[in-house]
Amino acid sequence: MVLTAAKPRKMWGVTDQPSGNLYVPMIAVIEDIIDETPDTKTFRLAFEDKNYAKSFSFEPGQFVEVTVFGAGEAPIGFASSPLEKSFFELTVVARGKVTQAMHKLKKGGQVGIRGPLGNCWPLEEIKGNDILVVSGGCGLAPLRPAILQILANREEYGEFWLLYGARTPADLDFKYDLEKWKQREDMHLLQTVDIGCDEWDCDVGVVTVLLDKIKVNAKKTVALTCGPPIMIKFVTISLLRTGFSEDRIVTSLERYMKCGVGKCGHCCVNHVYLCTEGPVFTYQQMRSLPELKL
Amino acid sequence: MKTTDALILKKSDALMFFASVASKMRLIAPKRFFGGDVMFDVIESPKDIVWEYGHDIYPPKRFLLPHYEDMFRYKTGKSVEVEGGIEAPMQAIVGIRSCDVTAIRFQERFFSNPIVDPYYKARLDNTVLFSLVCGKPPRKECFCMCCDAGPYLDAGFDVQLTDLGDRFLVEIGNDKGREACAPGAYMLGKAQPKDFAERKQIELQADSLFETQAYIAKAINYISNNDVPEEVWEEIAETCFRCGACTNLCPVCTCYTVDEIKLADGSYVRSRSWDSCQFAGFTREASGYNPRPTPGSRILRRFYHKASYPYIVRDGRHGCVGCGRCVFTCLADLGVPTVIKRLRRAMPKYFEPQEKAAEV
Repeated sequence: MVLTAAKPRKMWGVTDQPSGNLYVPMIAVIEDIIDETPDTKTFRLAFEDKNYAKSFSFEPGQFVEVTVFGAGEAPIGFASSPLEKSFFELTVVARGKVTQAMHKLKKGGQVGIRGPLGNCWPLEEIKGNDILVVSGGCGLAPLRPAILQILANREEYGEFWLLYGARTPADLDFKYDLEKWKQREDMHLLQTVDIGCDEWDCDVGVVTVLLDKIKVNAKKTVALTCGPPIMIKFVTISLLRTGFSEDRIVTSLERYMKCGVGKCGHCCVNHVYLCTEGPVFTYQQMRSLPELKL
Repeated sequence: MKTTDALILKKSDALMFFASVASKMRLIAPKRFFGGDVMFDVIESPKDIVWEYGHDIYPPKRFLLPHYEDMFRYKTGKSVEVEGGIEAPMQAIVGIRSCDVTAIRFQERFFSNPIVDPYYKARLDNTVLFSLVCGKPPRKECFCMCCDAGPYLDAGFDVQLTDLGDRFLVEIGNDKGREACAPGAYMLGKAQPKDFAERKQIELQADSLFETQAYIAKAINYISNNDVPEEVWEEIAETCFRCGACTNLCPVCTCYTVDEIKLADGSYVRSRSWDSCQFAGFTREASGYNPRPTPGSRILRRFYHKASYPYIVRDGRHGCVGCGRCVFTCLADLGVPTVIKRLRRAMPKYFEPQEKAAEV
């Protein structure tokens, strides 16, 4: 069977849209802010409308449009476990106008949320397979819901590798999770940084060096990757060389995005609107889009 | 399937008729402005309607997808209050050309498939289109003949008017059109066979008068098969000014950008306004990475959206209606017909066998 990205159960504007107008966001309150790295924070959010909070759910790989009131709107992927019902988390790197404004928000502040948007990692479809997660930098954030869901249903999947690379040890996201995952015996966590320091006891180099260290059975493994475009490119090349078939490499893409519901036209890659038909694609699906030049 | 009613409206009754239409809704029609330009605008009286006009360069899509529109307002403070609401007055667009009607039908499908855009829908639901058959191409740049969008329509209009000299043939395409005509229905007579004969004559005559041709099918084949090398696009785009006029004036184009605007009283407006894929910033991300970094990649984007098989499947037709606006607005002559002509000229050498190419 050919693997493709999965269709989500819930999608803003299709299955639910409580305010009646799909461009008007729902209000959420910041419950907690966790500093990840010097330029990355994780925001723990909960909806103000308790009834809506109860009905709200998402699947790993989906994202939301976050409104920072007064600054604008930006697409951010979910970073918390979908099994967690009372809150959700967004990991935000301060880069553009909106994300920088978001970093200035305090606990108790309000943001607008439109979501869940987009499709999701095919976690149901890949049950029974070995899982190889490769991520770089803040690319771990959109994979974290998938990792947490897999770990929660660990017996339904085979071997589980997590390869994670960052620029420096200080740039590693979710250090508290990495500590926990390192202890677990039912998964293999391999880390690398581009520039190491004295305390660093893991590898140094780009994330592809980790691929050479592990022995995976390409026939029964599915790779989930997310990171900077250049990382995805080289990871894909090495995986294909290892013998992975094109549909067993799954990636989350990103583009500049405005509306999130397939109308504004910014996120198009050829005829595909990343916001409604993406952001998760298998390499095989991506190959059908000439604009990606794969 | 076809439920078109054909009726006759005497030109002497036309003022009265449109006054009766205007009793229910505002009229938008071509109007002569100071200086002689004819543009669509809200008119006070049907007297202002100009029936003989070229092309309004500012496409009538702006009454459905305004150049700039407020989506909702909000106040920031201790807690955020969001106020929404869609302003959609009843309106009739009178004298709109067939190409623009086709474009609006294209947008209607785009904006409701699969997710419905509430602003566009609210406006279109309250809009009646009185389209006007072009007896001759209104401008020499028109090429709707090549695009299946004119000079007359078989379907898609609410009401279609054909100028038969001293009278209009009024075709009513759907219930919305019927309802809009209801207050003036007593002025409409039944159409006779000779009226249809005259109409047929006008159609045939109009068909023969087009000067500009665009070989859309050729472009669709080249682009869908991804045959055109990057260098050809870069060469075509060399003269592009990146002004975005081709896409902003295109009656089909829908892309918009979203901005927050601070008002004097401290509240904010989330607004949207037309954007263009021809701008470098259209896809530039906060990190500085731009997936479409060159003018050639952006012009390819424009043509991929207008003329490629996957988009035809999506949208039900290709994205050019042949109105000619990009032709007469582009300073660098990068309108649809010219670009296709340049593709046709540039491409054959890439299909020649290797040895033969080497000899040349």
